[in-house]
Amino acid sequence: MPDNELGLIAHLLRRAGFGGTLKELEEYQAKGYEATVEELLHPEDIPEWNDDLVRRYQPDQNSVMYFESAQSYAMYKMINSNRLLEEKISLFWHGLFATAYGKLNHAKGVLNQTDTFRRHGLGSFHDILMELSRDPAMIFWLDNKDNHKNAPNENYGRELLELFSMGIGNYSEDDVKNCARAFTGWTIANAEYMSNRASRDSIWPSGRIDWQFEYRPEDHDETDKDFLGRRGNFNGEDIIDIIAMRPATSWFISGKLYNYFVSDTANEEATAFLAEEYRKSGGNIRSMLRALFLSDYFKSEAVWYDKIKSPAELVVGTARLAGSYKTPQSNITNLASDANFMGQEILNPPTVEGWHTGMEWVDTGTLVERVNSSALVIGNTLQPGVQDMIQRLKDRQKSYQPNELVDACLLLLGNLDVSEITHDRLTEFAANYGEVKFSPEDSIACSEQQVVELLQLMLATREYQMA
Amino acid sequence: MTTTKTFNYSHTVGFLAATGRGFTNPVDLAINSQDVIYVINRAGPETPIRLPSKRVTMCNLNEDWFGDFGTGGKGDGQFWWPSAIIIDSDDQVYVADEALQRISVFNKDGEFLRKWGTKGSESGQLEYPSSMAFDADENLWLTDSGNHRVQKFTKDGQFISGWGERGSGSGQFEGPWGLALGQGGDVYISDWGNDRIQRYTEDGVVIEEFGGLSGGNPIHRPAGLTVDSDGNIYVADWGNEKVKILASDGSLLATLRGESVDSKWAADYFAVNPEEGQLRNEADLFPELDPPARRDREISAGVEGYFWGPTAVKLDDKGNIYVADSLRHRLQIYKAN
Repeated sequence: MPDNELGLIAHLLRRAGFGGTLKELEEYQAKGYEATVEELLHPEDIPEWNDDLVRRYQPDQNSVMYFESAQSYAMYKMINSNRLLEEKISLFWHGLFATAYGKLNHAKGVLNQTDTFRRHGLGSFHDILMELSRDPAMIFWLDNKDNHKNAPNENYGRELLELFSMGIGNYSEDDVKNCARAFTGWTIANAEYMSNRASRDSIWPSGRIDWQFEYRPEDHDETDKDFLGRRGNFNGEDIIDIIAMRPATSWFISGKLYNYFVSDTANEEATAFLAEEYRKSGGNIRSMLRALFLSDYFKSEAVWYDKIKSPAELVVGTARLAGSYKTPQSNITNLASDANFMGQEILNPPTVEGWHTGMEWVDTGTLVERVNSSALVIGNTLQPGVQDMIQRLKDRQKSYQPNELVDACLLLLGNLDVSEITHDRLTEFAANYGEVKFSPEDSIACSEQQVVELLQLMLATREYQMA
Repeated sequence: MTTTKTFNYSHTVGFLAATGRGFTNPVDLAINSQDVIYVINRAGPETPIRLPSKRVTMCNLNEDWFGDFGTGGKGDGQFWWPSAIIIDSDDQVYVADEALQRISVFNKDGEFLRKWGTKGSESGQLEYPSSMAFDADENLWLTDSGNHRVQKFTKDGQFISGWGERGSGSGQFEGPWGLALGQGGDVYISDWGNDRIQRYTEDGVVIEEFGGLSGGNPIHRPAGLTVDSDGNIYVADWGNEKVKILASDGSLLATLRGESVDSKWAADYFAVNPEEGQLRNEADLFPELDPPARRDREISAGVEGYFWGPTAVKLDDKGNIYVADSLRHRLQIYKAN
């Protein structure tokens, strides 16, 4: 057992989830690190979040006709799902295969795509690319509905090679053209009508209609194609077979996984390690993540707090910590808006390249938003998670010196490990309260308020804003 | 009693409109003595731009539009999560609100008259009132869903009686939604979270229950329901995206999936948007789908003519069956023959 196993599990939950409450950390610690990794890797063994109450009381989030409804529903799901890695891997693919509402005018289409990522996101990369190529929102987003036998559209073919699998420099322009020809006929049902509705942003007469994949054989180019040194009458499936076996693909996806789960700074050695696991497992994402989470590349304390939380990670993690939005709430839209103001519009990434991450999440404006949003959520003492934290403090001791209070609150915030200078500043702040007492009765309200103010300050620290 | 009735689709009333002539998430309806249909529009989300969609629309079966009243808000005559609507013998209109925990009363033209109700769990208080019905004495019955009980009030809000508690046993509820009163005074409840319909005496004694998931005709998360003069039960089987019609003994008479075609108001829209209308005419609007998850719900999302989120079923004295097709922003009308 490592000396700081609780810290390691907290690190794992920040990366493979949205951070853990102390209760969750303790439960996972009892199971052990390796068992926790295995549990996270098998979300299908954990019951799905039951969304019936949200759908009943907020029908707009049942049909998700409006963008803000879909964003809010996405927030509910990330906050309430116990399938932590399923949510995080869906968010990963959503960022990598970035598909935006802004062009589609069909929020549920993008939401459905993120559900596909939930179902297949830990499977083989080959199958993920297959699902992606059949995904109606992707077909619409990169114009494959306009990719015809006699008039190819290269948009999807190009991005499949450049942004979704191998990366630039690993294929030729002819490969792009022939890749596109292989995907002719891959479209959506009623494509002409659906395109017209989308271009007009028409929701009439009865709201949005879900898009469906359709293969039109009469519109598929059946002639031979040269692709990455091979020749044949390739269809889209053949192209993905070829792509998935390329070393460039294993390297590409390994680098993306390392960046998302480990560090904002690239690591060639770790990427090579993951690429080898890709080769050995046939591109199985679950196997790659297992290898990663059990490796020193991931476990090393040098990479703890080495990533800036994305807005979604920050907003969702804080809401989970506070126990917010367990039941339907009208103001869930505010939470999605907060992430928008911080620079991450869920379901509406800025371009096909997705969001620019790392330091680009933070500027003077978004930093203020990150701090204020977090402080607002944790400052609501009616939230069950906040009440639980206060109760744990009361149960543990009846009074706290400033230093003790800081340590106890850091533990409650998911075993937050702060620098010495941050700790000193927090202790100075807590010293303004003197000894914080939960007895006698008439001191409790004041003490609770002081605890909440300290928690709010802790959420403003560099360490909390990092993962 | 065995019925020989058949149930056939007649036509559709309404289409989506954020304000004015049309509906936004119609979740319940009531019909007054002049055959005016009052439809509550739940709408959402609760952002400033969407609040005006929360309103009561007045129209008739022939799609004549008589205007609307109310808007989103928390003041008198405003709505936040409007859930149920009923009309008394004076044609006064009662609207329940699950967020504001109150009943608002309007005259037939939509002028606000009064309100009653307070939030809480004591007798006579409310927590998510989901459905309402008047009995023969014009006492107002409602499902107090958040408190997992049924309550009876005078129509000006004086508490009379109530029963129920949370649980899955006989006589217990889990977030009850629909409520209807039979001709003999029996009380029918859609016990939403327990996937069943319960029938009680007016004193709260259980007579029978049926429709659970393990049965031959499983009901899933039932919403609004109503009962005809023969004791047949019409329930919005919300979780299955269907309407089920059950005989008085609980046996299944019919399952309706929805088969809507464009309403008059929808046709008006396409008359001024002919290109979209032409492409719609050429499209296959009833495709065969086999989605990978949540089949009924996802099929409803992809096949526009089917029910999607049916929340209420109402009858009139002319054999019409009105289904509030909440996520498709319309009423589907069936005929019982």
